[in-house]
Amino acid sequence: MAEFSTRYSFGGDEFIFAELSEEMNLEVNFRGIAITRKLKEKAFPGILDICPSNASYLVRFNPEEIDAHELLAELKQLEREVANLDEIEIRSRLVDVPVLFQDPWTHEAVMRFRDRHQDPESTDLEYAAQINGFTSEEEFIQAMTDTPFIVSMIGFVPGLPFCFQIARQEEQIEVPKYVRPRTFTPERTFGFGGAFSVIYPVQGAGGYQMFGIAATPVFDREQRLPDFRDSMVFPRQGDIFRYRSVTREEYDAVRKRVEAGTFEYRKQEIAFTPYDVLRDPEKFSEMALGRLYSD
Amino acid sequence: MIKVVKPGLETTVQDEGRIGYYNIGMPPAGAVDQFAYAVGNMLVGNEAGAASLEMTYMGPELQFQQDGVITLTGGYIPPKINGVEVPMWKAISVSSGDVLSFGIVKHGARSYLAVAGGISVPPLMGSRSTYTLCGIGGYDGRPLKAGDVLTIGRMRARAVKAGTKVPDKWIPSITKPHEIRIVMGLCSYRLTDESKALFLQTEWTVTPEANRVGYRLKGERLGFVPRDQPFGAGSNPSNVVDLGYPIGSIQIPDGVEPIALLNDAVTGGGYATIATIISPDLSRFAQVKTGEKVRFVSISYEEARQVRIDFKQRLTQINEHLEGAM
Amino acid sequence: MSQDKQVVSPLPGIFYRKPDPDAEPYVKEGDPVKAGDVIGLVEVMKNYQEIQVEEDGTIASFAVGNEEVIEAGQVIVVLK
Repeated sequence: MAEFSTRYSFGGDEFIFAELSEEMNLEVNFRGIAITRKLKEKAFPGILDICPSNASYLVRFNPEEIDAHELLAELKQLEREVANLDEIEIRSRLVDVPVLFQDPWTHEAVMRFRDRHQDPESTDLEYAAQINGFTSEEEFIQAMTDTPFIVSMIGFVPGLPFCFQIARQEEQIEVPKYVRPRTFTPERTFGFGGAFSVIYPVQGAGGYQMFGIAATPVFDREQRLPDFRDSMVFPRQGDIFRYRSVTREEYDAVRKRVEAGTFEYRKQEIAFTPYDVLRDPEKFSEMALGRLYSD
Repeated sequence: MIKVVKPGLETTVQDEGRIGYYNIGMPPAGAVDQFAYAVGNMLVGNEAGAASLEMTYMGPELQFQQDGVITLTGGYIPPKINGVEVPMWKAISVSSGDVLSFGIVKHGARSYLAVAGGISVPPLMGSRSTYTLCGIGGYDGRPLKAGDVLTIGRMRARAVKAGTKVPDKWIPSITKPHEIRIVMGLCSYRLTDESKALFLQTEWTVTPEANRVGYRLKGERLGFVPRDQPFGAGSNPSNVVDLGYPIGSIQIPDGVEPIALLNDAVTGGGYATIATIISPDLSRFAQVKTGEKVRFVSISYEEARQVRIDFKQRLTQINEHLEGAM
Repeated sequence: MSQDKQVVSPLPGIFYRKPDPDAEPYVKEGDPVKAGDVIGLVEVMKNYQEIQVEEDGTIASFAVGNEEVIEAGQVIVVLK
């Protein structure tokens, strides 16, 4: 990893922004998880929000209750404490997420916004496969579905998971965002931008390449599904999502269960250390998939 | 109860906001002019945090179906009761059958209607604020429609005398161009020095794309320091690895048309943010209309802290004054 | 002349004389209008607000052009 010292900055009178790295990698994401988790455990009065993101984090505080400079000093101290990432254990979930690639709904949106795309002559999937050096779309889909992703950030809108593939950097997929953002993206679109895959929780604007649609929600306003009993939002930072390519038949069957309110994600609890992942991402991914589909 | 005869352009139930859920991508929502909102509650004797109506540009037409005490604060959209203009920043008695309507907005962009007792809608995650993007909170998660009926709540802390008003010295005056104070920082290192200076010199015009999520501004094109884009960021020089956006932060996609985020902010994304509007000035920024001009004034964190102290003190003084007047 | 009536915009935004780019304008100079007739749209915050005349009359002139940015209270149309 390149040398980088964290940039700390005040965001107005209520926020501190800490940029741990300009580039994305798994180690820096774990570092952010570790720091923000320790901060949470300290339970300082006056901390309103702790928002870990991909390679940075944001803290919102009430300056009447906590002094900004003392908080800043505390964050720097926490960064030193987690320097070797040895002590932290991440407890999260392995989750199977069924995705219908090349579906009719996102395809329609893909065609509608060709004038905002780098390559108006091809589809998002064709373009992304080609610039990442794949000879076919099928091969490209396989690369996205063979290896799981870690949920590295939640945000943009409620429940949107930014997911980063658990792979060595040279194997990771990277795509540009649309030249000009779209005004429409279907709900549950499986998108890709920079090095991140996402699922759009609700219909709306968006700038990521569109490859398919998840059969299952990540946001449930009514909290009807069992997985949403405690929160409208399903994903949590640290979760490991395996995007699984499904047929139209399976997609329709899952949709029926979602609409009936009976669908539950296939998932397994998991505990791991950053070291488990960083030492050998391939081996970790293999183990994770083995556990997810073991029963 | 209050019946909605005409809904206005965008009338929503708002309060102090839904605090503590930013990490799941849930912005606070809440009144974008927190000063006008808070003073409204004080004027009608409500507990802090009671819900009010936020009205943008075009006010609604509302019929009261019970007697009560109301007040209007914020931007000047001339209020009328039964067709007769009534003053703002003053507690007013209304009787069952009275109709509240509004003239054409004179200055500011948003008015607040506070009702003694507050607007009663079910709280969600600690707030009654409407967040329309996901359709949650407030009245059915959406702006009001004709035919809606609002219930008045019980968040009254004290009785008030009709006619009680806020002294003029505390009513915000509007100066043009609007000067909005910011703290530079976040990813401002991405802008060239010339562009940082240009950002502060430019009189930015608010475009019609200006709502509770954010305001898009027109002015000069700004440039970023050239670099090989870091892994994961995306190819545009304005792109960064997706990160959290503070409320009030300003991003400049592709170097054109900065966007300043408000209470319904997107909580994160992949554009470099370069500065943050200080929280007391968000209340003022929310009163800037489409077509008006804004200049950003850079201050230090310490100065921002002092502005905040003054802002809070002003609210305390108003509250003490009004309590004394009860 | 002092009898001329005006239609003013209740809100700031972009003024459109047509319901969509390929359509005919709602009204033209010289057209008779009745109270409630739509003479244009103002776009703001992704809302399109219809602008209606409040009294019967004839369109004497437009004070603003199609797709022009207008202020709240600005005169859009003069009626005679």
